[in-house]
Parts: sequence; structure tokens; C-alpha cells
Amino acid sequence: MGVRRRIGGFVLKVNPILCDGFGHCVELAPDLVRLDEWGYPIISPTPVPLSNLAALESARYAVRGCPRQALAIERVADVQP
Amino acid sequence: MIALTSPYLWYTTRATGLVVLVLFTMVVALGALVANRVGGSTVGRFELNEIHRTVSSVAIVFLGIHILTTVVDSFVSTGVLSAVIPFISSYKRVPVALGTIAFDLMIAVWISSLAKTRIANSSWRFIHWFSWMAYAVAVIHAFLTGTDSRHGIGFVVVLASAAIGAGAGVWRFAARPARAAGRTALSPLGAVVEPERQPNRVVSRPRIEPDAVPPSARRRDASRPAADNARRDVAGGAARPTETGGVFPRGARPSRRGRR
Repeated sequence: MGVRRRIGGFVLKVNPILCDGFGHCVELAPDLVRLDEWGYPIISPTPVPLSNLAALESARYAVRGCPRQALAIERVADVQP
Repeated sequence: MIALTSPYLWYTTRATGLVVLVLFTMVVALGALVANRVGGSTVGRFELNEIHRTVSSVAIVFLGIHILTTVVDSFVSTGVLSAVIPFISSYKRVPVALGTIAFDLMIAVWISSLAKTRIANSSWRFIHWFSWMAYAVAVIHAFLTGTDSRHGIGFVVVLASAAIGAGAGVWRFAARPARAAGRTALSPLGAVVEPERQPNRVVSRPRIEPDAVPPSARRRDASRPAADNARRDVAGGAARPTETGGVFPRGARPSRRGRR
């Protein structure tokens, strides 16, 4: 199971309607998120491979830590190596 | 049954009452810090949020002990149902009822927070406003009911808690961030701040442009000046959800308190 789930990648997605720019995500997942000049997150749409466990864990922390529940982890089947 | 007649349950009730008051004062103050976006340099904002969540869990446990010992104890007769139904206690009817009301409100806040991922965030936020009411009622309950809270160190604790709680409330309103106001239908801040702000939301989602620069290279560098970071943002060609897609009409989003 562990092997199967490592195939593919994920994208951290922000819902811009819900986001209020608390900035918790950039603290919890600094490798995935940066802030624009108003303090709202900019997240790269390029999928991150699921084998990158550190990035996946930080993304999960960011989803859990968002005060507005504006973040979600979206799985994608294929990821460019 | 020795335990039920000994004074220790009653002492536990009194002691945990003061402990719960102090804990919930911390929770309210920490919640105000999170909501007003304190932190980022010396202490992380997410850390304040985590402390807020953790301390409230501890406070709920102590509140459970406080209520359980009150109900079980035979020194005063409050009755089991008076833990959740107000105004049915034969001992100090109104002061105990205030504690019951605060407990009921806290249950709502607690359950909604446990179910935060399952309910709409606006619902959670609306329910969370009741924590202020619960805290205010709890302080009055502590002053009126508490055996120790009208003299000596207990009075100092109640007075300090009330001052910190009231200060947190005033500061929560005075230093409220502009961008979050009025997001909940019944938000008390939204009604005061901007009654007319209902931006015409365009349904289409913003198109996020692929970014050429890898995320690790784009990390905001704290040692650089802010203008440099901003310039890099522009040069990177990254799409800003607030500008590209028209989620908010132009001019509606920027903060009235100036850019951060």
C-alpha cells in the first residue's frame, strides 16, 4: 500500500474565496507556499511527487493549520520527474 | 461513599473553578492574538493557533472536573440536570445558571471546533463568536458563585481575568484586520465595519499561470528588503488570485488600513 500511494503527486490548492491571508500556511509549508505582497498565498501548480514525504507532511500541516480551511491537498496521477 | 460526604469534592470544585477561569482567560486572549494576526517573527502565527487549541483542550478537561465534582458532591444540592439546564439548581439558582449557560455555549463552540473540517467555515466562525459571550457569563458566574472569589487571592484572580478578557475583547475589535471583516453573515465586526461591502463575485476561477521558478528558489527572503521581494514577485510572473481572475472586482480587495 505504501508503494502504491507513492505513485503520482499532489498539489496544494488554496480556495481564494475562503482565504483571509492569515499566513499560517507559509510558516507550516515554506517550501510549497510563498506570499504575495498582500499576504495571500501563491502556490505553484506544479505537482510535487508523493515520494517527497517532507513536502507532503508540511502540506498536511498547512491544511490542518489553516484557520479558514481554505487549503486542500489534491492528488494527481502523473507527475513529471 | 466517604468521598461524597468528605469536603474534598467541594474543595476540588472550588479549586478547579479558579483554574478553569484562568485557563479560559488564556484561551480567549490567545484566540484574539490569532484572529488579529499577531506573530510571524518572534513567535509563529501557527504556534499561537496551536497553543490556543491545546490550552482550550486542557481547559475543557478541567471544566469537566469542575462540573463533575459539583454534581457529585453532596455539600450543595445542584442536581445532575443543572449541569446542562439553567435555572433548576436549588443552590444559588441564578449564579449556577450562569455557569450552566456558559457551559452550554462552550459545548457548542467545542463541538463545532471538533467538527471544523466537516462543517462550513462560516458556520464554525459564527458559532465561535459565542465564546465571547460564554467567557463573559463565566466570569460573572465565577464572581457570584465562587466561595473564594470575592476576597483575597481569589478576588485578584477573578479581577485580573475579567480585565484581561475585557482587554482582549476591546483589542480584538480595535485592532481587527480589515480583510477578514464581514465574512460571516452575522459577524458583529462585519456589521460595524462595512455594511455595503458585498463584492460582486465573478464565478470564473482565476487562471493560475505555471511558474517557471522552482518553489525553493522563490522563497521569500527575510533578509532582503520588502521592495526587493515584491519586485521578485512581479518578475517571477506568478499569477495573483486577487488580480487575475476577478474573484474580487478591482479595488474591492485592498485593505482599507494600508498594505502590509
